[in-house]
Amino acid sequence: MGDLEDAIREFLIEANEGLDQLDRDLVELEKNPDSMDLLKRIFRTAHTIKGTGGVFGFNRLSAVAHVGENLLSRMRDRKLRLDSRITSVLLAMLDALRDMLAKIEANGSEGDGDYSAVVLAINAVLSAPVVEAAPASGELRVASCEVAPASCELRVASCEEKPGETCSASSITSGTSATPTESEAQVESCTTESGAHEKAEGNTIRVDVRVLDKVMDLVGELVLARNQILQSTVTAKDAALLSTAQRLNLITTELQEGIMKTRMQPVENVWSKLPRLARDLAMRHGKEVQLEMEGADTELDKTVIEAIHEPLLQIVRNAVAHGIESPAARCQVGKNAAGRVTLRACHEGGQVNIDICDDGAGLDVSALKQAALQRRAITPEQAARMTDRDAVQLIFLPPLAGAAKRSSSMAQVRSCIEALGGMVDVHSVAGQGTTVRLKIPLTLAIIPALIVRCGCQRFAIPQVSLLELVRVEPEEVDAAIEVIDGAPVYRLRGNLLPLVDLGKVLQMTARAATGERQAVNIAVLQVDDRSFGLIVEDVNDTEEIVVKPLGRQLKHISCYAGATILGDGQVALILDVLNLAHMANLATDGRADNVEDLNRQGQATAAGESWLVFAAGQDARMAVSLARVSRIESISSQKLERSGNCEVVQYRGRIMPLIRVGNLLSSSTLAVSDAMLPVIVCPREGQDVGLIVNRIIDIVEQTAVQEQLGNRAGVFGSAVIQQCVTDIVDVDALAVQAGLCARPRPAASIH
Amino acid sequence: MKALIVDDSAGMRAYLRMVLKGAGIEVLEAKDGVEALAVLHAGARADVAMLDWNMPEMDGYELLKNIRADSTFNSMLVMMITTETEVSQIEKALAHGANEYIMKPFTRDVVLDKLQMLGLQ
Repeated sequence: MGDLEDAIREFLIEANEGLDQLDRDLVELEKNPDSMDLLKRIFRTAHTIKGTGGVFGFNRLSAVAHVGENLLSRMRDRKLRLDSRITSVLLAMLDALRDMLAKIEANGSEGDGDYSAVVLAINAVLSAPVVEAAPASGELRVASCEVAPASCELRVASCEEKPGETCSASSITSGTSATPTESEAQVESCTTESGAHEKAEGNTIRVDVRVLDKVMDLVGELVLARNQILQSTVTAKDAALLSTAQRLNLITTELQEGIMKTRMQPVENVWSKLPRLARDLAMRHGKEVQLEMEGADTELDKTVIEAIHEPLLQIVRNAVAHGIESPAARCQVGKNAAGRVTLRACHEGGQVNIDICDDGAGLDVSALKQAALQRRAITPEQAARMTDRDAVQLIFLPPLAGAAKRSSSMAQVRSCIEALGGMVDVHSVAGQGTTVRLKIPLTLAIIPALIVRCGCQRFAIPQVSLLELVRVEPEEVDAAIEVIDGAPVYRLRGNLLPLVDLGKVLQMTARAATGERQAVNIAVLQVDDRSFGLIVEDVNDTEEIVVKPLGRQLKHISCYAGATILGDGQVALILDVLNLAHMANLATDGRADNVEDLNRQGQATAAGESWLVFAAGQDARMAVSLARVSRIESISSQKLERSGNCEVVQYRGRIMPLIRVGNLLSSSTLAVSDAMLPVIVCPREGQDVGLIVNRIIDIVEQTAVQEQLGNRAGVFGSAVIQQCVTDIVDVDALAVQAGLCARPRPAASIH
Repeated sequence: MKALIVDDSAGMRAYLRMVLKGAGIEVLEAKDGVEALAVLHAGARADVAMLDWNMPEMDGYELLKNIRADSTFNSMLVMMITTETEVSQIEKALAHGANEYIMKPFTRDVVLDKLQMLGLQ
């Protein structure tokens, strides 16, 4: 009976697709109950399932579908108008059909499930008397088989007799409401259109995915063989062999692209299940939600599509259940009662971005912090310092108590997407909503990669993570690579790039010290929206690599994403850039601000305040607001003169009084006797004052929270700048203390 | 012996294909009237055409009229596939040159009986 099984399999595929289509169409129809076009399509799909199921002898399936069809034909004939209750009944019928199809698939028969509840519920709707008064408020419960009293909104649809009344009652758009003939005509033209669309898709065949997978595997092997041949023909002298190798190269590339295309599916394939999900959830949580989709035709590899299915469900579930507020709460803050969840997909480079935005309340940042605190995932200090943007990332922490549901699931979403080589990012604005962005690679099978060498091994770095390559010549190494806080950094176009030495991270034996300096190769990689430099010994080439899963023995090592076979037949491990960054303790936060802190441009930008940090006296670390500083000078101690009990210097044709900050403020009286003295020139009441300090340390841009520690004249207070306690100097008070001005100025005037 | 199945449902086509092949009949398929006409105009010939009534792009009735309007297909028998609710339309189809009809849901035996009645078994 192989033929029958084949035929049944075709029926199952068709019927399941039909049911999914019905799910979507019904949800759509609920929003737009007067679309004859939709109704007709729904009717036809249900009709086909019923008819075909009957032919195959699935009589129970056919019977349930038949009852549904009756209800649909009533709507098609405008004797009944769809509302949310009828939609629920119909959706319940679809679930019953789906259940039977699953049983047929599993054991070849419809089984003996009890679907009488669904049938009764539909019949209840069908037999309910036509009510024009306000409907009773009873709820139709399908599961409990409660036959609801005339609870549905029924409309008399005798268009011919009283079209005007029908229009007003059911808010039909003017175009379709007029006469039956007119609306018929419109429907006709619509169906022709959709027919033409179907026609365009006509030249398709179904292929078993296993066949495609096998072909994909073989193409992968072919790519490897091609790479090997190309490599071995590099040195060949035979012209004919060379040109054949070239052709092989081109054909393989095209074949590869062609096969990839066959595996591409529109993201719509996963999205299509979401409207139903959103609707059911919204009903359960008493919310109103509109689901919108943009870029549904964006294509992704089949395996990727399948892998993002669960995460997408989860995110949409979160958006509807937790993100969107209740209609009442929304109205209160002036939002539309119906929340909006938007799915957006687009290509960007070799990746697909999928955004899931809701216009709900946004994440509760304090709750997230609280939950993270309870779990001791962060310290209270960290929580206090955390920006909202950073706090939002707490949602990815593994299961939290309290704000639990959303977080635990997001941790799963993240691990799911990262396993795909993708990334998840969450943005949330209180009161405006949350956006989850997934960045997903188009395909997992064959990717372009950079091959690097470290020790005697080669590694592949996926091209998507690679920003650029930097080569630091031997003589520049000392100047270009600095060590800050024990961590090597490279100054890349004014920004500091943290460096990770691949050899060290992988604990490979240090390269043989040859005595002479070697050039340093840095691969600048991007993780999330931050970047870091990976020091490798050698950069080989870029190559299309076929990603092979790691063997069991290596799987637990997180810094590898897979393995591949290179052109010369050797195995190379593929680096997992994200985990590499984690291993090197380049956690995703804390890097960017350091870079800016250490940026010596010294230009004040809008954010934060700039501080000139200096040392004075014995190891006293002090800072003065850069706004108070006009210049930094280096003055020879021999140029110092005295005027009264004051040290002065001739500066730009005037006499500038000097203050030895160390002597005044620091407990030490150690005099500075260097030949060249660093002097900070501060303008004050039309006259410059010079502050003699031991050493200028840095210019730092950051918001400094000042705290009053004791009461010392000449100092505003102390603040933590660059992780060090630093006294903030009050220039005016210092001047007063040094006896430069009789009238003390209020300290606060400095700002 | 060759049959042309015209039905928009892949499941239905699969079922008919199974039944017909089991009876040793070769099968051609089209998923709507337009495609069926294209197949026929491309030179494909069948001894019998089984037309579903309800199809999105040119339904079975329309297709029947097109087939009967072209003398090239004179020798081809036509069997309409309808559902019970479309009984009234059977007369219409027969008047326009259909040779036989079957109503959904049908069984394998019904299909084979009808083919026999048409002298094809």
